[in-house]
Amino acid sequence: MPQTDAAAVALARDGDSEAFHDLVERHSRAVYRLAYRMTGTPQDAEDVVQETFLRAYKQLGRFESRANFGTWVHRIAVNCSIDLIRSRPRREAALDLPDLEQFSATSERTDTSGATPERLMLSTEVQERISSAMTGLSAMERAAFMLRHFEGHSIEEISQSLGLKTNATKHSIFRAVRKMRVALEPFVADA
Amino acid sequence: MTDHLNEDDLVLHYYGELDGAESARARQHLGTCAECRHAHAKLQRVLAAVDTMPEPVLPDGYERTVWARLQPQLDSPAGWRAWLSFSPARLAWVAAVLVLVGGAFFAGRMTQTRNAATQIASADQVREQVLLAALGEHLERSQTMLIDLVTADGDGMVDVSTERERATDLVAANRLYRQSAAASGEAGVIELLDQLEELLVELAASPDKLSSEELDSVRKRIDSNGLLFKVRVLSSTVRERQKQQIRTRTGQSS
Repeated sequence: MPQTDAAAVALARDGDSEAFHDLVERHSRAVYRLAYRMTGTPQDAEDVVQETFLRAYKQLGRFESRANFGTWVHRIAVNCSIDLIRSRPRREAALDLPDLEQFSATSERTDTSGATPERLMLSTEVQERISSAMTGLSAMERAAFMLRHFEGHSIEEISQSLGLKTNATKHSIFRAVRKMRVALEPFVADA
Repeated sequence: MTDHLNEDDLVLHYYGELDGAESARARQHLGTCAECRHAHAKLQRVLAAVDTMPEPVLPDGYERTVWARLQPQLDSPAGWRAWLSFSPARLAWVAAVLVLVGGAFFAGRMTQTRNAATQIASADQVREQVLLAALGEHLERSQTMLIDLVTADGDGMVDVSTERERATDLVAANRLYRQSAAASGEAGVIELLDQLEELLVELAASPDKLSSEELDSVRKRIDSNGLLFKVRVLSSTVRERQKQQIRTRTGQSS
């Protein structure tokens, strides 16, 4: 097994499929995690992983050896996720979760202001709330928010990637943040 | 104080998306307004909590599963399939032959006796199946080329010579499939193949290297009419029709 990604890429470019296998072994989990964040479903994430490595394989000739393979494949995965999200019929209304009040009501019931924020931050309940809030995001809200929050893309870049107007991108991010706030505020209210 | 920062301003400020003057105003306001500072701190805590989002749990050996699904797609095609997929020009030639053969079948069908009707129907099915396979292959190749184009990156001039060559090959095949679609009155397919041809012709005529602005313009064209998505959908429909054909034939022969 080649010790570095660069060595594996060099071998894979020469047709060594085992070298490419090594790259898949090293990076597929990280690609899956990114794809899952972006798409929100295991099936879509799986499709993105496949498509990502397929594209990477086909474009190995374009990969600059001084670049970082992980970063490169990560960027391909973001593009694949965006393609998949954009290829879906727009079902924003159907997927949208306007039940902020419902979130609020549940949050009030589970108010835990007596515990320290540090402990709560790590609690399973907070993580469950995050997961639950994430499922309440529409596909576009999720993609826009993930690209802004986790990937650090600017709103302008996100608008171009997702084919949205700048205001629509902002609106998606605002709604996503609002849903997160409503779901999580009771846990982080008084630091 | 009337100039409080609203929720959206706070989000933009958090992500550094306010422009210079707005950002300075927000900072200044947060320095003097306890209410907004409190709201901002709360937002920071919420978004910090989001960072603790749980990671999906993957089983041991997940990588092996990925590789098992991926490997067959990486192998270079072999045998007659390789001959077909090696060159779209060959595919076009095959399609032309099939169109002619199809015409012959059609002419023959008009002169056949009633007893031969079943055989002709079966021959028609075989012909359609081969055509579907060729069209499916064409769409997949077009899709791959479009994806490569959309994901091509690089600063300054981007080498698109490979895509240009592929586009040149695909144009001829595309025209033949368009003719076949026109002959059978498939309006949706005709429209898509027209859009595809327009882009293929433009690419075929382009230089080997495009500036990033020129490449962006091509990407925008692909994006604006949803070409990649449409090709995917049609490719999937064609595959489905192939499967349906096979099921029908299997049902007939059993």
